Amino acid sequence: MERNFKVVFFMGKGGVGKTTCAAAFALGVSTKRKTLIVSLDPAHNLGDVFDVKLGDEPKRITDNLYAVEVDFEKMISKHLKSLTDKVKDIYGYLRVLNLDRYIDVLRHSPGIEEYATLDKIMEILKSNVRSGKYDIIVFDTPPTGLTLRIMALPSISAIWIEKLMKLREAILDRRRIIEEITGEKIKAVIKGEEFEIPSGKEEDPIYKELIHMKREIDFINSIIKDSKVSMAVLVVNPEVLPIFEAKRALEFLSKLGISVQYVIVNKVLEISEMASLPKELMTKLNQEREALQLINNYFKEQVVINIPLFYEEPKGLDKLTVFSKYLSKLINNVVI
Amino acid sequence: MKNKVFKKSLRKVLSIISNLLRAKSVEYVYVELRELENVFTLIVLGSFIGLPSPPTTISLRLLPYMAREIIVSMSVSSRLSDMLAEMAGLFEIT
Repeated sequence: MERNFKVVFFMGKGGVGKTTCAAAFALGVSTKRKTLIVSLDPAHNLGDVFDVKLGDEPKRITDNLYAVEVDFEKMISKHLKSLTDKVKDIYGYLRVLNLDRYIDVLRHSPGIEEYATLDKIMEILKSNVRSGKYDIIVFDTPPTGLTLRIMALPSISAIWIEKLMKLREAILDRRRIIEEITGEKIKAVIKGEEFEIPSGKEEDPIYKELIHMKREIDFINSIIKDSKVSMAVLVVNPEVLPIFEAKRALEFLSKLGISVQYVIVNKVLEISEMASLPKELMTKLNQEREALQLINNYFKEQVVINIPLFYEEPKGLDKLTVFSKYLSKLINNVVI
Repeated sequence: MKNKVFKKSLRKVLSIISNLLRAKSVEYVYVELRELENVFTLIVLGSFIGLPSPPTTISLRLLPYMAREIIVSMSVSSRLSDMLAEMAGLFEIT
């Protein structure tokens, strides 16, 4: 399906400058296209980078740029509310025993945070498909480990849903066979009440829920796996550890079918006068040179952008505008 | 009159035989269905007994509709201690 907007994910190890790069990119691209930047990092600092207080609703930064810091507590509560409401509705008798509050413990289930984040990404993308409000959506993600788990969720969920659907179809088949031979619906008694057991795909609530989940997963996959719509940008520092992590992230994302076209090397020391440098700094520069060589070896298919170390923190719109000049290759690519 | 009563009785007997045959023929399908429902529950809610399970949200979204499957699983687990008798019953070994 043709999408009329683009999505860019900024990823990398904690502390490499993802938020600064994402903010500068969003600012640069917003001079040509209407842009929304969303911080998905539970330890937000997007507002600090823009020097503006941000919240859960898009806040206007410039004419064409809006920014959001996702409220994680609210997001998880919202995600769980629809789930727990259904459980409470069906097992309503638990209220009599005052046991329904135990259901609230679901918020601490493993994996809930990742799914809630994916739900939020889906909500933003769906809303933009409907409204067409933004041309470009930039996601500033949490550190690599959590981000990769979030990005892998659609693929993992798709495998589970497919298997569960096949098993469910086998169950419904058997029910139909029994119905056809006996000439009547299968009945079950639950809590003293007799129920007819569904045998058709269109009447089985479990199969319908699986279809519903499959549609959602297909939607998100159709966006994040389409290289014409989405791309991931890896941010590293010229140091060995972030580069190793970025390489592993690249391999993982490639397996998921997510395209990584750019690598930003942030905080590169650029010193022209080498003669009078102290020994420690010389060592640092040599290490940096090796790290840059490593980047060229590992990321041969990506465009590598070097950004020098700014001697003043790139904070506020003016400094971010200067910063964004270094990202012009990436900005022009996305704007086309 | 006698003829009518005879026909009615015969119809009843045939209907009972037909129902018996139908019930017999679906017996194995019932067992297969019960086990498939049990496997479905184990897969979806496996995390409760330490089995690998789908992402939590998938399990939670299916949970509200799984009352029957949970009841089936409970009845299966209550008979697990005597699987031999279960199999013997199924294949009519006395």
